[in-house]
Amino acid sequence: MVGVPVQTTPDERVEAVEETALGDPWVTIVWNDPVNLMSYVTYVFESYFGHPHATAEKLMRQVHEEGRAVVSTGVLESMEVDVQAMHGFGLWATLQRSGQ
Amino acid sequence: MHGFRARQGRFVARVDEGERAVVASVVADVLELLGAPRPDEEPAAADRVADVPTRDGGLPHLRSDTPAAPDDPAVRRLLPDASRDDPAVAAEFRRLTEDDLRAQKVDRLEKLWHALTAPGGGRRRDELVVRAQDAPAVAGALTDLRLVLAERLGVHTDAEADAMYAVLGEPSPGVPAARGDHETRRYLVSVYGALTWLQESLVVLMLADARQARRTHDDHPPGPPGTGDVPGSG
Repeated sequence: MVGVPVQTTPDERVEAVEETALGDPWVTIVWNDPVNLMSYVTYVFESYFGHPHATAEKLMRQVHEEGRAVVSTGVLESMEVDVQAMHGFGLWATLQRSGQ
Repeated sequence: MHGFRARQGRFVARVDEGERAVVASVVADVLELLGAPRPDEEPAAADRVADVPTRDGGLPHLRSDTPAAPDDPAVRRLLPDASRDDPAVAAEFRRLTEDDLRAQKVDRLEKLWHALTAPGGGRRRDELVVRAQDAPAVAGALTDLRLVLAERLGVHTDAEADAMYAVLGEPSPGVPAARGDHETRRYLVSVYGALTWLQESLVVLMLADARQARRTHDDHPPGPPGTGDVPGSG
């Protein structure tokens, strides 16, 4: 997203994810990129995950400022659905085991 | 070009003939990158059509081979890796989802191409009319066009995205060899900028719509008649 010189290649350092619910073995991560509009990313988080506007905007800011954010947690099959949806929207998402 | 405005439940932009031709040709380029036939060409050899993944060809989607990750970085951005450190996860994800994802992107790009080349539904010839339910597909297609243009422009960071517009204010180089590159870059940047602006105008309306729908829902929650009329509930 435009505004901050953040490297868009996924970060080498992926810390443990604090938000992960206990027992959720996988997480979906959305990465910052220089193309997607802040408004559009907010729209995606609102419309796909059903977040209230303020939550969606906070998550969007986290992606923008920190370079990435965990957007969902769960079993592998659910994360595959979420990642595919994000790719459908044109966002760059990956899945990985939680805590990695 | 005029950005989208809301009008009677639809979103209407104004895009003149020349602008339509430019955007439509980018749409055709991206369709070709995705392995679909260019909509601006006559149906070519059958082998090309066979390349297009289709969901309604009557055949069940049971891919057993794993498609290789695309070589072209622009295509790889449209169909990205789902894992950066686990090739097995990325390959399995590609096997499961790539055909569907590609088909989704092809479908909405084709619809955008038709909307651009066969204008209709508006009061004026240059109106591009998008129904509210089609807006997400249009916004998604605009994203894909911008992703490809940014990749071709070598824009990989937010700083590079900010800096790319400088070319629009720079004089053309005196050396003829450099002039061509400069003009091409200028053209791509101006198309990217126009598409960015067009998409932003659409997404702002989509967000406002979503908020309005939520407010209406909050004001009139499901329940006995009359409960939605309580003042101050919103």
